[in-house]
Amino acid sequence: MQFSGNVAYTKKREWEGYLMPRTLSEALSLLEEFKGEARIIAGGTDLVVQNRGGSMQTKGLVDITRIPGLDGITLDKDTIRIGCLVTHTKVTESLLIREKAMALSESASRLGSPQIRNMGTVAGNIVNAQPGADTTIPLLALDASVKVVSKGGERVIPLTELFTGVGKTRIDSTREIVTEISFPALRGNESSASFRLAKRRALVLPILTVAVALSADVKKKRFNSARIAVGPVAVTPMRCTEAEKVLAGSPINEEIIRKSAATAAAAANPRTSLIRGTKEYRQAMVAILVEKAIKLALERLEGHHGQ
Amino acid sequence: MGNETVKFTVNGKGVSLEVEPGDMLVDVLRERLGLTGTKAGCREGECGVCSVIMNGTLVASCILPIKKAEGATILTIEGLEANRELHLVQKHFIDNGAIQCGFCTPAMVLAGKALLDKNPRPTREEIQLAISGILCRCTGYQKIIKAIDSASKSGKRGEV
Repeated sequence: MQFSGNVAYTKKREWEGYLMPRTLSEALSLLEEFKGEARIIAGGTDLVVQNRGGSMQTKGLVDITRIPGLDGITLDKDTIRIGCLVTHTKVTESLLIREKAMALSESASRLGSPQIRNMGTVAGNIVNAQPGADTTIPLLALDASVKVVSKGGERVIPLTELFTGVGKTRIDSTREIVTEISFPALRGNESSASFRLAKRRALVLPILTVAVALSADVKKKRFNSARIAVGPVAVTPMRCTEAEKVLAGSPINEEIIRKSAATAAAAANPRTSLIRGTKEYRQAMVAILVEKAIKLALERLEGHHGQ
Repeated sequence: MGNETVKFTVNGKGVSLEVEPGDMLVDVLRERLGLTGTKAGCREGECGVCSVIMNGTLVASCILPIKKAEGATILTIEGLEANRELHLVQKHFIDNGAIQCGFCTPAMVLAGKALLDKNPRPTREEIQLAISGILCRCTGYQKIIKAIDSASKSGKRGEV
Protein backbone atom coordinates (compact mmCIF):
# COMPACT_ATOMS: atom_id res chain seq x y z
CA MET A 1 0.00 0.00 0.00
CA GLN A 2 1.19 3.49 -0.83
CA PHE A 3 0.71 6.44 1.46
CA SER A 4 2.13 8.97 -0.93
CA GLY A 5 0.25 11.92 0.51
CA ASN A 6 1.02 11.12 4.11
CA VAL A 7 4.51 11.92 5.23
CA ALA A 8 3.77 12.20 8.94
CA TYR A 9 5.34 8.87 9.78
CA THR A 10 8.60 9.31 7.92
CA LYS A 11 11.17 8.57 10.58
CA LYS A 12 14.41 9.55 8.97
CA ARG A 13 15.21 12.80 7.27
CA GLU A 14 17.19 12.55 4.05
CA TRP A 15 20.11 14.69 5.17
CA GLU A 16 23.53 13.87 3.76
CA GLY A 17 25.36 15.87 6.36
CA TYR A 18 24.63 17.33 9.76
CA LEU A 19 27.45 19.62 10.77
CA MET A 20 28.16 21.32 14.05
CA PRO A 21 30.60 24.20 13.53
CA ARG A 22 32.21 25.86 16.55
CA THR A 23 32.57 29.33 15.05
CA LEU A 24 30.41 31.63 12.96
CA SER A 25 32.94 31.82 10.13
CA GLU A 26 33.12 28.03 10.01
CA ALA A 27 29.31 27.93 9.76
CA LEU A 28 29.34 30.46 6.89
CA SER A 29 32.02 28.43 5.07
CA LEU A 30 29.95 25.27 5.41
CA LEU A 31 26.94 27.03 3.88
CA GLU A 32 29.18 28.04 0.99
CA GLU A 33 30.45 24.48 0.51
CA PHE A 34 26.92 23.16 0.13
CA LYS A 35 26.29 25.69 -2.67
CA GLY A 36 22.81 26.65 -1.58
CA GLU A 37 21.70 23.15 -0.59
CA ALA A 38 22.27 23.52 3.15
CA ARG A 39 20.30 25.37 5.75
CA ILE A 40 20.96 26.63 9.23
CA ILE A 41 19.35 24.72 12.10
CA ALA A 42 19.11 25.97 15.69
CA GLY A 43 16.21 24.61 17.75
CA GLY A 44 14.86 22.75 14.75
CA THR A 45 11.24 22.81 15.94
CA ASP A 46 10.02 24.16 12.60
CA LEU A 47 12.72 22.92 10.25
CA VAL A 48 12.70 19.27 11.32
CA VAL A 49 8.93 19.10 10.89
CA GLN A 50 9.10 20.84 7.50
CA ASN A 51 11.79 18.37 6.40
CA ARG A 52 9.69 15.25 6.77
CA GLY A 53 9.66 14.85 3.03
CA GLY A 54 8.34 16.65 0.03
CA SER A 55 8.85 20.37 0.23
CA MET A 56 11.70 22.10 2.03
CA GLN A 57 14.07 19.15 1.63
CA THR A 58 17.66 20.05 2.19
CA LYS A 59 20.93 18.18 1.71
CA GLY A 60 22.94 19.52 4.56
CA LEU A 61 22.22 21.08 7.90
CA VAL A 62 24.54 23.44 9.67
CA ASP A 63 23.71 23.33 13.39
CA ILE A 64 24.79 26.57 15.04
CA THR A 65 23.85 25.67 18.61
CA ARG A 66 27.44 24.85 19.63
CA ILE A 67 28.81 28.23 18.61
CA PRO A 68 29.66 30.14 21.79
CA GLY A 69 28.50 33.68 22.51
CA LEU A 70 25.17 33.61 20.70
CA ASP A 71 22.87 32.79 23.60
CA GLY A 72 22.87 35.99 25.65
CA ILE A 73 20.19 38.50 26.55
CA THR A 74 21.89 41.79 27.36
CA LEU A 75 21.14 45.45 27.93
CA ASP A 76 23.71 47.43 25.98
CA LYS A 77 23.15 51.11 26.89
CA ASP A 78 19.47 51.47 25.93
CA THR A 79 19.37 48.56 23.52
CA ILE A 80 18.29 45.02 24.35
CA ARG A 81 20.22 42.38 22.42
CA ILE A 82 19.01 38.81 22.12
CA GLY A 83 21.44 36.28 20.67
CA CYS A 84 20.18 33.98 17.94
CA LEU A 85 20.40 30.89 20.17
CA VAL A 86 18.15 32.29 22.90
CA THR A 87 15.18 29.97 23.39
CA HIS A 88 11.61 30.98 24.16
CA THR A 89 12.03 29.58 27.67
CA LYS A 90 15.06 31.78 28.26
CA VAL A 91 13.18 34.87 27.06
CA THR A 92 10.19 33.97 29.23
CA GLU A 93 12.37 33.60 32.31
CA SER A 94 14.45 36.74 31.67
CA LEU A 95 13.79 39.47 34.23
CA LEU A 96 15.28 42.03 31.87
CA ILE A 97 12.74 41.16 29.17
CA ARG A 98 9.92 41.16 31.72
CA GLU A 99 10.91 44.62 32.91
CA LYS A 100 11.76 46.23 29.59
CA ALA A 101 9.73 44.32 27.00
CA MET A 102 6.81 42.62 28.73
CA ALA A 103 4.91 41.97 25.48
CA LEU A 104 7.75 39.75 24.25
CA SER A 105 7.96 37.90 27.56
CA GLU A 106 4.28 37.05 27.62
CA SER A 107 4.17 36.12 23.93
CA ALA A 108 7.17 33.80 24.25
CA SER A 109 5.52 32.13 27.25
CA ARG A 110 2.47 31.22 25.15
CA LEU A 111 4.25 29.74 22.13
CA GLY A 112 3.95 26.02 21.42
CA SER A 113 4.51 23.99 24.57
CA PRO A 114 7.17 23.76 27.29
CA GLN A 115 9.15 21.31 25.15
CA ILE A 116 8.96 23.53 22.06
CA ARG A 117 9.89 26.60 24.12
CA ASN A 118 12.89 24.73 25.55
CA MET A 119 14.13 23.88 22.06
CA GLY A 120 13.01 26.63 19.69
CA THR A 121 14.68 30.01 19.35
CA VAL A 122 13.23 33.49 18.94
CA ALA A 123 15.49 34.08 15.92
CA GLY A 124 14.16 30.90 14.32
CA ASN A 125 10.61 32.06 14.93
CA ILE A 126 11.42 35.28 13.02
CA VAL A 127 13.31 33.61 10.17
CA ASN A 128 10.52 31.08 9.64
CA ALA A 129 8.45 34.15 8.72
CA GLN A 130 4.95 32.97 9.54
CA PRO A 131 2.54 35.92 9.57
CA GLY A 132 1.27 35.06 13.05
CA ALA A 133 4.63 34.10 14.60
CA ASP A 134 4.21 34.52 18.35
CA THR A 135 7.43 36.39 19.06
CA THR A 136 7.60 38.35 15.81
CA ILE A 137 4.40 40.26 16.58
CA PRO A 138 5.65 41.79 19.89
CA LEU A 139 9.09 42.34 18.36
CA LEU A 140 7.46 44.36 15.57
CA ALA A 141 5.68 46.45 18.21
CA LEU A 142 9.00 46.88 20.01
CA ASP A 143 10.61 48.13 16.78
CA ALA A 144 13.16 45.32 16.60
CA SER A 145 15.80 44.63 13.97
CA VAL A 146 17.85 41.57 13.13
CA LYS A 147 21.57 41.46 12.48
CA VAL A 148 22.38 39.28 9.48
CA VAL A 149 25.92 38.05 8.92
CA SER A 150 27.42 36.66 5.73
CA LYS A 151 30.89 36.17 4.28
CA GLY A 152 30.58 39.63 2.77
CA GLY A 153 29.93 41.37 6.08
CA GLU A 154 26.89 42.18 8.14
CA ARG A 155 23.72 44.19 7.81
CA VAL A 156 20.90 45.17 10.10
CA ILE A 157 17.34 44.77 8.82
CA PRO A 158 14.37 46.25 10.68
CA LEU A 159 11.53 43.72 11.08
CA THR A 160 9.26 46.17 9.26
CA GLU A 161 11.34 45.54 6.11
CA LEU A 162 12.23 41.89 6.66
CA PHE A 163 9.21 39.95 5.48
CA THR A 164 8.28 39.51 1.82
CA GLY A 165 5.60 36.80 1.99
CA VAL A 166 4.40 33.77 3.92
CA GLY A 167 7.59 32.01 5.03
CA LYS A 168 9.71 34.47 3.05
CA THR A 169 12.21 37.11 4.16
CA ARG A 170 14.99 39.22 2.69
CA ILE A 171 17.48 36.88 4.36
CA ASP A 172 19.27 34.53 1.98
CA SER A 173 19.27 31.46 4.21
CA THR A 174 21.69 29.63 1.92
CA ARG A 175 24.50 32.04 2.78
CA GLU A 176 23.39 34.30 5.65
CA ILE A 177 22.87 33.80 9.38
CA VAL A 178 20.82 35.90 11.78
CA THR A 179 23.04 36.39 14.81
CA GLU A 180 21.13 38.87 16.92
CA ILE A 181 17.80 40.58 17.52
CA SER A 182 17.91 44.09 18.97
CA PHE A 183 15.41 46.73 20.03
CA PRO A 184 15.27 49.79 22.26
CA ALA A 185 14.51 48.94 25.90
CA LEU A 186 11.27 50.55 26.99
CA ARG A 187 11.75 53.68 29.09
CA GLY A 188 9.86 55.00 32.10
CA ASN A 189 6.96 56.45 30.12
CA GLU A 190 6.65 53.42 27.86
CA SER A 191 5.04 50.02 28.23
CA SER A 192 3.87 47.05 26.19
CA ALA A 193 1.34 44.22 26.22
CA SER A 194 0.27 41.33 24.04
CA PHE A 195 -2.69 38.99 23.66
CA ARG A 196 -3.11 35.65 21.96
CA LEU A 197 -6.40 34.13 20.89
CA ALA A 198 -6.31 30.36 20.39
CA LYS A 199 -8.54 27.33 20.80
CA ARG A 200 -6.48 26.02 23.69
CA ARG A 201 -3.51 27.22 25.67
CA ALA A 202 -0.86 24.87 24.31
CA LEU A 203 0.23 23.42 21.00
CA VAL A 204 -2.12 25.34 18.76
CA LEU A 205 -1.40 28.04 16.24
CA PRO A 206 -2.86 31.40 17.17
CA ILE A 207 -6.21 32.48 15.73
CA LEU A 208 -4.84 35.96 16.33
CA THR A 209 -1.97 37.51 18.16
CA VAL A 210 -1.60 41.23 18.87
CA ALA A 211 0.99 43.38 20.59
CA VAL A 212 1.15 47.04 21.55
CA ALA A 213 4.06 49.18 22.71
CA LEU A 214 3.19 52.72 23.68
CA SER A 215 4.55 55.89 25.15
CA ALA A 216 2.22 58.05 27.21
CA ASP A 217 2.06 60.79 29.80
CA VAL A 218 -0.33 59.30 32.33
CA LYS A 219 -0.50 62.48 34.42
CA LYS A 220 -1.51 64.62 31.46
CA LYS A 221 -3.65 61.73 30.20
CA ARG A 222 -2.12 61.80 26.74
CA PHE A 223 -0.59 59.22 24.40
CA ASN A 224 2.75 60.26 22.94
CA SER A 225 3.06 57.49 20.38
CA ALA A 226 2.33 53.81 19.86
CA ARG A 227 3.25 50.81 17.78
CA ILE A 228 0.67 48.10 17.14
CA ALA A 229 1.31 44.74 15.46
CA VAL A 230 -1.16 42.01 14.52
CA GLY A 231 -0.96 38.56 12.94
CA PRO A 232 -1.89 36.45 11.08
CA VAL A 233 -4.05 38.91 9.18
CA ALA A 234 -1.97 39.39 6.02
CA VAL A 235 0.80 37.53 4.18
CA THR A 236 3.38 39.03 6.51
CA PRO A 237 3.29 40.02 10.19
CA MET A 238 1.60 43.41 10.13
CA ARG A 239 2.14 46.82 11.74
CA CYS A 240 -1.06 48.86 12.01
CA THR A 241 0.36 52.29 11.23
CA GLU A 242 -3.00 54.02 10.77
CA ALA A 243 -4.21 52.76 14.15
CA GLU A 244 -0.94 54.01 15.67
CA LYS A 245 -1.58 57.49 14.26
CA VAL A 246 -4.96 57.58 15.99
CA LEU A 247 -3.22 57.28 19.36
CA ALA A 248 -0.24 59.55 18.67
CA GLY A 249 -0.69 62.83 20.54
CA SER A 250 -4.29 62.03 21.46
CA PRO A 251 -5.89 62.16 24.90
CA ILE A 252 -6.18 58.88 26.76
CA ASN A 253 -9.86 58.03 26.72
CA GLU A 254 -12.23 55.22 25.79
CA GLU A 255 -13.23 56.79 22.49
CA ILE A 256 -9.67 57.19 21.20
CA ILE A 257 -8.71 53.66 22.26
CA ARG A 258 -11.77 52.20 20.52
CA LYS A 259 -11.12 54.27 17.41
CA SER A 260 -7.55 53.03 17.23
CA ALA A 261 -8.66 49.41 17.72
CA ALA A 262 -11.32 49.77 15.00
CA THR A 263 -8.73 51.25 12.66
CA ALA A 264 -6.45 48.27 13.27
CA ALA A 265 -9.33 45.89 12.53
CA ALA A 266 -10.13 47.75 9.32
CA ALA A 267 -6.54 47.34 8.14
CA ALA A 268 -6.48 43.63 8.97
CA ASN A 269 -7.35 41.24 6.19
CA PRO A 270 -7.63 37.80 7.79
CA ARG A 271 -8.77 34.79 5.81
CA THR A 272 -11.58 32.45 6.68
CA SER A 273 -9.87 29.28 7.81
CA LEU A 274 -11.05 25.97 9.20
CA ILE A 275 -8.55 26.12 12.03
CA ARG A 276 -8.74 29.85 12.71
CA GLY A 277 -12.40 30.75 12.16
CA THR A 278 -14.15 33.13 9.79
CA LYS A 279 -12.79 36.36 8.42
CA GLU A 280 -15.62 38.32 10.08
CA TYR A 281 -15.01 36.82 13.51
CA ARG A 282 -11.27 37.32 13.32
CA GLN A 283 -11.57 40.90 12.10
CA ALA A 284 -13.97 41.72 14.94
CA MET A 285 -11.57 40.11 17.39
CA VAL A 286 -8.64 42.24 16.18
CA ALA A 287 -10.47 45.31 17.51
CA ILE A 288 -11.19 43.65 20.84
CA LEU A 289 -7.65 42.38 21.35
CA VAL A 290 -6.01 45.65 20.31
CA GLU A 291 -8.27 47.51 22.74
CA LYS A 292 -7.37 45.09 25.53
CA ALA A 293 -3.66 45.37 24.75
CA ILE A 294 -3.70 49.18 24.78
CA LYS A 295 -5.55 49.14 28.12
CA LEU A 296 -3.21 46.58 29.65
CA ALA A 297 -0.16 48.54 28.51
CA LEU A 298 -1.65 51.68 30.11
CA GLU A 299 -2.36 49.77 33.31
CA ARG A 300 1.27 48.66 33.40
CA LEU A 301 2.42 52.22 32.89
CA GLU A 302 0.31 53.42 35.81
CA GLY A 303 1.21 50.47 38.04
CA HIS A 304 4.92 50.44 37.18
CA HIS A 305 5.11 46.66 37.38
CA GLY A 306 6.72 45.52 34.17
CA GLN A 307 6.72 47.36 30.88
CA MET B 1 24.53 1.03 10.32
CA GLY B 2 25.29 4.69 10.02
CA ASN B 3 28.03 6.98 8.92
CA GLU B 4 28.67 9.20 11.92
CA THR B 5 29.49 8.56 15.55
CA VAL B 6 27.60 10.17 18.37
CA LYS B 7 28.43 9.88 22.06
CA PHE B 8 26.14 10.78 24.92
CA THR B 9 25.04 9.69 28.37
CA VAL B 10 21.68 8.05 28.82
CA ASN B 11 20.39 7.14 32.27
CA GLY B 12 23.88 7.46 33.69
CA LYS B 13 25.59 5.23 31.13
CA GLY B 14 27.83 6.45 28.36
CA VAL B 15 26.95 5.26 24.87
CA SER B 16 28.73 5.57 21.55
CA LEU B 17 26.75 4.78 18.41
CA GLU B 18 27.08 4.87 14.66
CA VAL B 19 24.15 6.90 13.37
CA GLU B 20 22.84 8.55 10.24
CA PRO B 21 22.48 12.34 10.33
CA GLY B 22 18.74 12.17 9.70
CA ASP B 23 18.00 9.91 12.67
CA MET B 24 15.83 11.34 15.44
CA LEU B 25 16.68 10.78 19.10
CA VAL B 26 13.41 8.92 19.77
CA ASP B 27 14.26 6.20 17.24
CA VAL B 28 17.81 5.80 18.50
CA LEU B 29 16.49 5.43 22.07
CA ARG B 30 13.79 2.94 21.10
CA GLU B 31 15.38 0.91 18.33
CA ARG B 32 19.10 1.04 19.02
CA LEU B 33 19.10 1.19 22.80
CA GLY B 34 15.87 -0.72 23.48
CA LEU B 35 14.51 2.09 25.65
CA THR B 36 10.91 1.72 24.51
CA GLY B 37 9.47 3.59 27.48
CA THR B 38 9.85 6.71 25.35
CA LYS B 39 6.99 6.68 22.86
CA ALA B 40 6.74 7.95 19.30
CA GLY B 41 3.35 9.52 18.63
CA CYS B 42 2.77 12.35 16.19
CA ARG B 43 6.43 12.65 15.18
CA GLU B 44 6.08 16.39 14.84
CA GLY B 45 6.51 17.65 18.38
CA GLU B 46 2.80 18.13 18.91
CA CYS B 47 1.77 15.34 21.27
CA GLY B 48 4.72 15.20 23.65
CA VAL B 49 4.77 11.44 24.37
CA CYS B 50 8.37 11.35 23.12
CA SER B 51 9.49 13.73 25.88
CA VAL B 52 12.80 13.06 27.60
CA ILE B 53 14.95 15.20 29.86
CA MET B 54 18.09 16.42 28.10
CA ASN B 55 20.62 18.41 30.11
CA GLY B 56 17.93 19.13 32.70
CA THR B 57 15.17 20.33 30.37
CA LEU B 58 12.19 18.57 28.85
CA VAL B 59 12.52 18.14 25.07
CA ALA B 60 10.55 16.43 22.32
CA SER B 61 12.84 13.60 21.15
CA CYS B 62 10.86 12.97 17.94
CA ILE B 63 12.04 16.25 16.41
CA LEU B 64 15.50 16.18 17.94
CA PRO B 65 18.18 15.30 15.36
CA ILE B 66 20.49 12.74 16.95
CA LYS B 67 23.60 14.89 16.51
CA LYS B 68 22.12 17.36 18.98
CA ALA B 69 22.53 14.65 21.62
CA GLU B 70 26.33 14.72 21.20
CA GLY B 71 27.83 15.14 24.66
CA ALA B 72 24.41 15.49 26.27
CA THR B 73 23.04 13.89 29.42
CA ILE B 74 19.70 12.25 28.73
CA LEU B 75 17.20 10.84 31.17
CA THR B 76 14.39 8.55 30.03
CA ILE B 77 11.68 6.92 32.10
CA GLU B 78 13.87 3.80 32.46
CA GLY B 79 16.48 5.85 34.33
CA LEU B 80 14.16 7.30 36.91
CA GLU B 81 14.21 4.55 39.52
CA ALA B 82 17.24 4.39 41.78
CA ASN B 83 18.41 1.42 43.87
CA ARG B 84 15.40 -0.59 42.72
CA GLU B 85 13.09 2.04 44.09
CA LEU B 86 10.67 4.05 42.01
CA HIS B 87 11.00 7.82 41.81
CA LEU B 88 8.66 9.82 44.03
CA VAL B 89 6.63 11.03 41.04
CA GLN B 90 6.23 7.45 39.80
CA LYS B 91 4.98 6.33 43.22
CA HIS B 92 2.40 9.08 43.33
CA PHE B 93 1.19 8.26 39.82
CA ILE B 94 0.52 4.72 41.07
CA ASP B 95 -1.06 5.84 44.36
CA ASN B 96 -3.38 8.24 42.52
CA GLY B 97 -4.27 5.88 39.69
CA ALA B 98 -2.94 8.46 37.26
CA ILE B 99 -2.53 5.88 34.51
CA GLN B 100 -5.05 4.67 31.98
CA CYS B 101 -3.66 3.32 28.70
CA GLY B 102 -0.15 4.31 29.76
CA PHE B 103 0.97 5.75 26.43
CA CYS B 104 1.60 9.26 27.77
CA THR B 105 2.65 8.15 31.26
CA PRO B 106 6.44 8.13 30.77
CA ALA B 107 6.31 11.66 29.36
CA MET B 108 3.92 12.87 32.06
CA VAL B 109 6.14 11.46 34.81
CA LEU B 110 9.23 13.07 33.30
CA ALA B 111 7.38 16.39 32.93
CA GLY B 112 6.45 16.12 36.61
CA LYS B 113 10.03 15.41 37.59
CA ALA B 114 11.40 18.25 35.43
CA LEU B 115 8.92 20.60 37.08
CA LEU B 116 9.64 19.54 40.67
CA ASP B 117 13.40 19.75 40.10
CA LYS B 118 12.97 23.45 39.29
CA ASN B 119 9.95 24.25 41.40
CA PRO B 120 9.44 21.87 44.36
CA ARG B 121 6.09 23.37 45.40
CA PRO B 122 4.23 24.25 42.20
CA THR B 123 0.71 25.63 42.10
CA ARG B 124 -2.01 23.71 40.26
CA GLU B 125 -1.68 26.21 37.41
CA GLU B 126 2.07 25.57 37.20
CA ILE B 127 1.49 21.81 37.09
CA GLN B 128 -1.06 22.24 34.30
CA LEU B 129 1.43 24.36 32.39
CA ALA B 130 4.22 21.81 32.90
CA ILE B 131 2.20 18.99 31.33
CA SER B 132 0.51 21.18 28.70
CA GLY B 133 2.82 19.86 25.97
CA ILE B 134 1.72 16.26 26.43
CA LEU B 135 -1.50 14.84 25.09
CA CYS B 136 -3.25 12.24 27.25
CA ARG B 137 -5.35 10.26 24.78
CA CYS B 138 -7.53 8.99 27.63
CA THR B 139 -8.11 12.56 28.89
CA GLY B 140 -7.04 11.53 32.37
CA TYR B 141 -5.49 14.86 33.24
CA GLN B 142 -7.11 15.37 36.64
CA LYS B 143 -5.40 12.40 38.26
CA ILE B 144 -2.10 13.24 36.60
CA ILE B 145 -2.26 16.75 38.06
CA LYS B 146 -3.23 15.28 41.44
CA ALA B 147 -0.32 12.83 41.32
CA ILE B 148 2.26 15.55 40.65
CA ASP B 149 0.63 17.75 43.28
CA SER B 150 0.71 15.01 45.93
CA ALA B 151 4.33 14.16 45.05
CA SER B 152 5.24 17.82 45.61
CA LYS B 153 3.48 17.87 48.95
CA SER B 154 4.84 14.57 50.24
CA GLY B 155 7.74 16.34 51.86
CA LYS B 156 10.37 14.15 50.22
CA ARG B 157 12.38 15.01 47.19
CA GLY B 158 13.05 12.54 44.40
CA GLU B 159 16.70 11.68 43.99
CA VAL B 160 17.96 10.97 40.52
